[in-house]
Amino acid sequence: MNKEFTKGLVKDNPIFVQLLGLCPALGVSGLVVNALGMGAGVIFVMLGANIFVSLLKNFIPQKVRIPSYIVIIASFVTIVQMVMEAFAPELYNNLGVFVPLIVVNCAILGRAEAFASRNTLKDSVLDALGMGIGFTLGLTLIALVREILGAGTITLFAMGGFDGVIRIPILHLAPVRIFSLASGALLAIGLLLALFNWKSSAKRG
Amino acid sequence: MKQLASISLRLALICAVAAAVLALINSVTAPQIEYNREQRLLQALQEVSGDYEIGDAEETDAEKITARYPLSDQEGNLAGYTLRILASGYAGEMVLMAGYRLDGTVITARLLDNEETPGLGKEAEEPSYMEKFEGTGGDQRPVPQRKHELSEAQADGVTGSTITFSGIGEGIHAGSRYVAELGGEDE
Repeated sequence: MNKEFTKGLVKDNPIFVQLLGLCPALGVSGLVVNALGMGAGVIFVMLGANIFVSLLKNFIPQKVRIPSYIVIIASFVTIVQMVMEAFAPELYNNLGVFVPLIVVNCAILGRAEAFASRNTLKDSVLDALGMGIGFTLGLTLIALVREILGAGTITLFAMGGFDGVIRIPILHLAPVRIFSLASGALLAIGLLLALFNWKSSAKRG
Repeated sequence: MKQLASISLRLALICAVAAAVLALINSVTAPQIEYNREQRLLQALQEVSGDYEIGDAEETDAEKITARYPLSDQEGNLAGYTLRILASGYAGEMVLMAGYRLDGTVITARLLDNEETPGLGKEAEEPSYMEKFEGTGGDQRPVPQRKHELSEAQADGVTGSTITFSGIGEGIHAGSRYVAELGGEDE
């Protein structure tokens, strides 16, 4: 597979390696369904931003490149916000303030400035997909740890007769509540970061 | 000067295109968003108003009660009110919809907009959460506002989210007093 795509999944993962986008990673990782929804939003915005920044790199003046990138990113975020509020109101309600805050997710501005503004359209698309999916995987991993330990459940999308909630036997009745709280988010990210660092240092020997 | 004009023009062009695209998408999503809001409000109104007929929304002069809907029985007599109430939660303001009989007794309530913690305060969105308030607010049973006023089983259900519970209890209590003070009379 193309390295521009694969680098964002693990090697340069935005959350666990670059430590970017930690604000939503802390804020919306209480439920798996919220992490997946936020991840989808970030992939869409990152893809749109990278495509337009790459296409317009010769048109955007160097002196106003950051305001231009912010306008492009904010436009895509507003599109996500309006579409989500209209067609997925429950998810929109759960994600709350973190949807508009995608604008200031430094992982997105970071990729626009560091990659899309200097590379071809094809590579920028692959970079956005890889980084976006890597961000979603990281966020979902944190949400899985927090929700399983903190609530004893895994909340997915409701379909037909399935209410969307998988209840873990025993743990559902006596969960470790701290993982549902803000402090639990810091704890879960800290532990996963330590695990990530330990694995990478073991790989390097 | 020419360079400055060129930079400004390019940035303005980017902004104009972005605004046009957003206006187009807003024209598609805005009616659906408004429809969703109305449906959520209607559903909550019907759920908290028992079997009574629901009248049109009226403004109130109470600070935390943003709207009231008169309820009438089958003969058309005023039987109570449903109120839209603002309450304070763990993560900011919460919006409640609560139905009352004329003496201030709670029919039931629903938690609408809120930013409470998923798995804790957010559990108050479940209709069963409001069972502890049903039938309270009259002369015999005050609206519970603190955890120690609940039975042991009910108190277990609010462990970890007592601020949310107290906020909801205080909001429902304020609504109960408001309806009781109206005493079945329109202002």
